[in-house]
Amino acid sequence: MTTAVSIPRTGGSGGRTAAAARARQVLKAYGSGETRVVALDHVDVDIARGQFTAIMGPSGSGKSTLMHCLAGLDTVTSGQIFIDETEITGLKDKKLTQLRRDRIGFIFQAFNLLPTLNAIENITLPMDIAGRKPDKQWLDRVVETVGLAGRLKHRPNQLSGGQQQRVAVARALAARPEIIFGDEPTGNLDSRAGAEVLGFLRRSVDELGQTIVMVTHDAVAASYADRVLYLADGRIVDEMQHPTADMVLERMKNFDARGRVS
Amino acid sequence: MTVLKTSFRNFLAHKGRMALSAIAVLLSVAFVCGTLVFTDTMNATFDKLFASTASDVAVSPKKNDDAQETGKPQTLPASLQGRLAQVPGVAKVEPHATSQQITAATAKNKSISPTSGAPTVGTNWDESQKKSVEITSGHEPHGATEAVLDADTADKHGLTTGDKLRVIAAPGDFSVTIVGIATYRTTNPGAAVLYFDTPTAQTKLLGTAGEFSSYGLTAASGVSDEQLKKDVTAAVGTGYTVHTAAETKAENKKDVGSFLDVMKYALLGFAGIAVLVGIFLIVNTFSMLVAQRTREIGLMRAIGSSRKQVNRSVLVEALLLGVVGSVLGIGGGIALAVGLMELMGSMGMKLDTSELTVKTTTPVVGLAIGVVVTVLAAYLPARRAGKISPMAALRDAGNPADGKAGTVRAVIGLVLSAAGGAALVAAAQSDDASAGSGMLGLGVLLTLVGFVVVGPLLAGFVVRVISTVVLRVFGPVGRLAERNALRNPRRTGATASALMIGLALVAALSVVGSSMVASATEQLDKSVGADFIVQSENGPLSPAAVTAVKSARDVAHFSEYTIVHAKVTTPDGRTATQRLSAVSPTYADDVRAETVKGKLADAYAEDAMSVPEGFAEDHGIKIGDRLTVAMVDGRTAKLKVNAITSDDTSIDKGAMYTDIATAKRYLPADKMPLDAMVLAKAADGKAKEAAESLKAAVAEYPQVKVRDQADYKQLIKDQVGQLLNMIYGLLALAIIVAVLGVVNTLALSVVERTREIGLLRAIGLSRRQMRRMIRLESVVIALFGALLGLGLGMAWGVTAQQLLALQGLGVLDVPWPTITAVFAGSAVVGLLAALVPAFRAGRMNVLNAIATD
Repeated sequence: MTTAVSIPRTGGSGGRTAAAARARQVLKAYGSGETRVVALDHVDVDIARGQFTAIMGPSGSGKSTLMHCLAGLDTVTSGQIFIDETEITGLKDKKLTQLRRDRIGFIFQAFNLLPTLNAIENITLPMDIAGRKPDKQWLDRVVETVGLAGRLKHRPNQLSGGQQQRVAVARALAARPEIIFGDEPTGNLDSRAGAEVLGFLRRSVDELGQTIVMVTHDAVAASYADRVLYLADGRIVDEMQHPTADMVLERMKNFDARGRVS
Repeated sequence: MTVLKTSFRNFLAHKGRMALSAIAVLLSVAFVCGTLVFTDTMNATFDKLFASTASDVAVSPKKNDDAQETGKPQTLPASLQGRLAQVPGVAKVEPHATSQQITAATAKNKSISPTSGAPTVGTNWDESQKKSVEITSGHEPHGATEAVLDADTADKHGLTTGDKLRVIAAPGDFSVTIVGIATYRTTNPGAAVLYFDTPTAQTKLLGTAGEFSSYGLTAASGVSDEQLKKDVTAAVGTGYTVHTAAETKAENKKDVGSFLDVMKYALLGFAGIAVLVGIFLIVNTFSMLVAQRTREIGLMRAIGSSRKQVNRSVLVEALLLGVVGSVLGIGGGIALAVGLMELMGSMGMKLDTSELTVKTTTPVVGLAIGVVVTVLAAYLPARRAGKISPMAALRDAGNPADGKAGTVRAVIGLVLSAAGGAALVAAAQSDDASAGSGMLGLGVLLTLVGFVVVGPLLAGFVVRVISTVVLRVFGPVGRLAERNALRNPRRTGATASALMIGLALVAALSVVGSSMVASATEQLDKSVGADFIVQSENGPLSPAAVTAVKSARDVAHFSEYTIVHAKVTTPDGRTATQRLSAVSPTYADDVRAETVKGKLADAYAEDAMSVPEGFAEDHGIKIGDRLTVAMVDGRTAKLKVNAITSDDTSIDKGAMYTDIATAKRYLPADKMPLDAMVLAKAADGKAKEAAESLKAAVAEYPQVKVRDQADYKQLIKDQVGQLLNMIYGLLALAIIVAVLGVVNTLALSVVERTREIGLLRAIGLSRRQMRRMIRLESVVIALFGALLGLGLGMAWGVTAQQLLALQGLGVLDVPWPTITAVFAGSAVVGLLAALVPAFRAGRMNVLNAIATD
């Protein structure tokens, strides 16, 4: 079911292979015997470099699990996952942590920021942890892009929900990771703030050449992506290139018609 | 009912989070109960012992506190025995010849006296002894060279029948062979006991053939002890002390009992400090539990729970915690008491654990303390829980809001601290010891409370300073740790305050202790000219020992020192019993007492003396006045005051000196008190030889110790050090509870910050960095507590020293090594406290942590 079209990467940190991340025959199962639940059922997927990929699917379809496995947050039962040419399945915690730190960016639905650190400290945190000096020019550009210049010294609790998510986006971008994973990054935002954040993600792909994978159940959010993958019962059942909100909605209705609730 | 059910479920659901609070309650209650059980058991043991040895009625010489300390027990005439036997109602008269001022040495000149301070007793063997001991090997003593030794002492020194002992008694030394071993039927309180036949005991212990030290009377059947006492008193007059068995028991018990009481209250005092520290821990636990449960409580309120119900549910949880902790604590207390008894056993005081006395009040007190303290401590958090609005259920709780330390708190804290500081300054400058100590107490209390109140505010400042110095090295992880320690100043403040209390006491006592040593040393250097001090470990020096000391060579002079009791009549017409220091004239070189008037050497002229400054002022004494000095048991002298000594000293303060020869002229030889010590000055350049010679001279007297100035200083240092170590040991309990508090705060923080920890791990913080972050937070809290505690404690200690300067504690010595060690130790303690929380934070599952509900 590998249907991804690889698009040569332009810009960003320079491509080595066409796929920024790959999953090969990934199986994720919980429990055993009668209580065994298969979350991912031999999934094969390639995440194209320099593209914005959305993963959609009803609750329990395994979309979050897929993202967690791709990002090295969760382990797989069997199969392989590669970030660029590095196989991350089987890596020890230490290496995996380093990989997340140096090569991956994250944006979660909520609780993205450390309440004790101000905006700029949160943005540079992954680099601080790694003991790297942030690239000043790049940092300024990211900060400017997400429009936070005036609020860098604010603590998270002094920022609105939308601003907090923008800080999270800036943090993900600032370290110039090979790939950014978003887990419903706009799930907690109203539509205007959500649109802002998605706009930034889109622009970071277009202008900065960033690779982004985002899990969402929102058709409008998915419409910002270059490509939408549909998951159901732990399998990739469909995909769509250059989606619009209406097309996505239409596709989702199909799921609903088949008795699935989003 | 529902309230109870939710409380119960909550309690069980948070077992782990309650565990440390329960341990704090347990430790405090265990300490209280352990103290009670231990002292009750000791009391019961002594009661039993004294009951087993007391005669129905005992007749002994009238106690005379003014009597000269001749080292010989007071005696009763032998004729009294016959008169007592005549008294109607007396079934039997048993004469006793007992001395408690003996020493016994083994063939290798090793003393068999207990090191615990219990006496070495010599007594005559008779039927009445069989009530408390039985001879388990060998036979009863017969004749002047036989003795029976108690089994515990025999065991301790590996002595058996056939071994020889040399007994050093006031009338003289004599040698005996052990012919039997006597085993106690009841608990042996630790004394070493030697039994001789009656004539030997009389002649060798009392020094007089016909006399006894007391008579024990057995009442004929049907005659009560009280009746017999009355009859005996009527028959022999009031010249003797006549006690019933109950009175004897009470009399014997008086010293032991008051010692036990002091010990009990001291231990309970330390338990109290631990309880106080435990309160901080419990307050923190409940505050954090309530904060973490904000949403849940909001929901309860939203669906209709009243404030009171929420409030009560928290208190019920506290109640459960208190009960569980206390019950375990009571058990722990009994175990502790058994442990203490074993410890006493190893120090020579054999206590039988089957005698363990647990009064009904003990568990009641333990439970009451545990429950009341826990519920009181939980009261504030419970109130806060009641105030949570139903809206809290709807809000995204996220993390509990940063507790802003309020201005009110700042003002109150600063006012209290300032008032306390002022009281301390006043105490330090006070000229009046009693008013000053009142001020000191007030200052200690106010500064302590003030610091606790203002702690959260100080946390902001002090933690930043500590972080700048300590944490910056650790880069971003250090910064995260700093921010975490700062995020909830109230929590950090309370956790650190708990540690502060124990450490403040340690610091204060260390300053006072080392000032004591330094002051004594300075005083010794300044005014003591003697090279050697010869003293006995138990009481005065026997004449034989003094003779032996004086046989030493290479000594320029010896100075004898004894205390003579005399009734002194001053020119203002008042008479009071005084203790005159009757010393050799060379003593003026050995202890250079400063005079305010006259020359000290003149005080040793014939029929002359010196008086201290204060005494002279009080009684209007001038140089040249003659005081009427009536020696107790001797003649009356008219002594001329030739010198007035300064009171500004800590050695021999208030002493009235006179020549020992003068005292001897007015006292019959057998009433002359024994020497309390002998000082010696080495011949020029022969210090080493003199020391060796002196030590060799007293080799046969194991109880006699020769110390040079360095030894003596070391002795003072050791004694102060021992006392301090004991107190530190007891304070360790409070510090352990405080450390549990640090562990508790960290553990609960880790739970509370699950999401943050997950986030940090997701964006690349390694396990090691995570653990380091938690550890550094812990270290910062511990160092903060240590800084406050040591600062506060040193201020207390310095104030106390300034105040005690009035009593001769003139030199301030801050023991920087101790202070530094405690500070560094706190960092280590912080690391240890973080061990488990850090491990758990490192192990936390990233996915669980970031999963949205």
